Amino acid sequence: MTDQPDPLRIDFHLLDRQIVDAAGEPVGKVDDVELTLNPATGRLQVTALLSGQQVLGERIGGRLGGLLAGIARRLHPVEHPPPLRIDLTHVASIGSAVTLTVHRDALPTPPLERWLGDQFIGKIPGAGHAGQ
Amino acid sequence: MKRVFAVTLGILTAIGGFVDIGDLVANSETGARFGMRLAVVVVIGVIGICVYAEMCGRVAAISGRPVFDLVRERLGPKAALANLTGSYLVTLLTLAAEIGGVALAIQLASSVSYLLWVPVAAFAIWVALWRVKFETLERVFGLVGLALVVFVIALIQLQPDWAALAGDATQLSPPDGEDWGTYGFYAVSLFAAAMTPYEVFFFSSGGVEEGWTAKDLLTSRMNVFVGFPLGGVLSLAIMGCAAVVYQPLGVQVDTLAQTALPVGIALGKIGLVVVILGFFAATFGAALETGLSSGYTVAQYFGWQWGKRVAPRQATRFHTVVIISVLLGVALLLTTIDPIQLTEYSLVFSAVVLPLTYLPILVVANDRAYLDDKVNGPLANTLGIIYLVIIVVVAVAAIPLMILTGVGQ
Repeated sequence: MTDQPDPLRIDFHLLDRQIVDAAGEPVGKVDDVELTLNPATGRLQVTALLSGQQVLGERIGGRLGGLLAGIARRLHPVEHPPPLRIDLTHVASIGSAVTLTVHRDALPTPPLERWLGDQFIGKIPGAGHAGQ
Repeated sequence: MKRVFAVTLGILTAIGGFVDIGDLVANSETGARFGMRLAVVVVIGVIGICVYAEMCGRVAAISGRPVFDLVRERLGPKAALANLTGSYLVTLLTLAAEIGGVALAIQLASSVSYLLWVPVAAFAIWVALWRVKFETLERVFGLVGLALVVFVIALIQLQPDWAALAGDATQLSPPDGEDWGTYGFYAVSLFAAAMTPYEVFFFSSGGVEEGWTAKDLLTSRMNVFVGFPLGGVLSLAIMGCAAVVYQPLGVQVDTLAQTALPVGIALGKIGLVVVILGFFAATFGAALETGLSSGYTVAQYFGWQWGKRVAPRQATRFHTVVIISVLLGVALLLTTIDPIQLTEYSLVFSAVVLPLTYLPILVVANDRAYLDDKVNGPLANTLGIIYLVIIVVVAVAAIPLMILTGVGQ
């Protein structure tokens, strides 16, 4: 990673920030982070960003979070969907948004986005063109 | 010409935000009941929206982050979700009221009941949101909305006693026959109408849609300082027309036709044609703004792709939210609820959710990680804090005043 605040605070600089791809298009929010114990130093390290309504719901917790996670699960074709996991090595910079080194096409399309594209929005005439 | 078109976002935001169905009615209602005694609230509201729209225009231009990104980042997911719920519902109520306003404007021209026009108007609004380029919408409805300048001409043509109007405007108390409760209630409504949250959602997201960068700071400021004061002048003219025509007669205003009538008296049929065109453009523009804003808030909270720069196929969740919102608005109107009452309620609830939107803007406008050396200066911060205090007072007072006065009756 090239450009990031020092010291990097997970709660202040990472959580709830917008993730954008190399072209600046929105990918998702940093809804949670993956922490891994570094055996060499014995300290926890951020190794990946997690994104998706279900992890968000789980992070919020309580009845409200449960509701959000529940809705996300319902809208999902798979029983226990994994969140979108973005390895920290794909992060180019952390500023007012978290910018990735890759293009959003290289990441899996969120299932709800894809389903709506196939079954609803994509079937309306003109869905494939930006405005005239 | 480019310079002229550069301010159309501000004009559309102002025409839609200031002079939408709510203001058309609220301004002529207050004009008829209070004369110009609440004019000062419009002025305070214009300054307030200028202060905050300038901040979020600056944040959008420098960091590319629209308002609801900031709300989520600074309030955290829980409080932001509460804000999202409140803001979305208020925006939805406003969207329904605007669709009703478009239908009422067509009813004025066609004499066919507005209820029959609601589905037609909603479909036209959706097609515009689906197909038409952002800049085109902005230019067409921003410029046609300028037809409302006819209220200024009408006011001059009515040859009012200007000194009396100005004297009235300096009286900060209710006139005979009105009490402090209703005066306060209408003050809250007018203030909320000026600072409705969807205006900043729309303005900042619009800036991002247009791809503003640091170079466009001047454009952003021109939009703010031309557009909103223009909206304020139109609001005051509407209030003035109602004050001159209705207040001496003791007539209460509760339909859109009554809002238009002073123009008819002053300028005849041509005036009426222009004013109905203005109503149509203003409410249609506001319906586009609120329709987009409903999608903007949800998509920006969850981090989805949003906006009209990309094909709908690329932002399916955003477009689904927009479609559902328009349909819910239609359903609400087809219960035959009065669109004008709907607007009055939406203004009160707007007032309640205002602080949760404006606080994060003020905080981020001071953050160097977003704005580098373009953070708030002392003037923006002083005004920002003064207005935050006003916003909190208005938010706290809104519901008790609504109950106390029976929605201003």
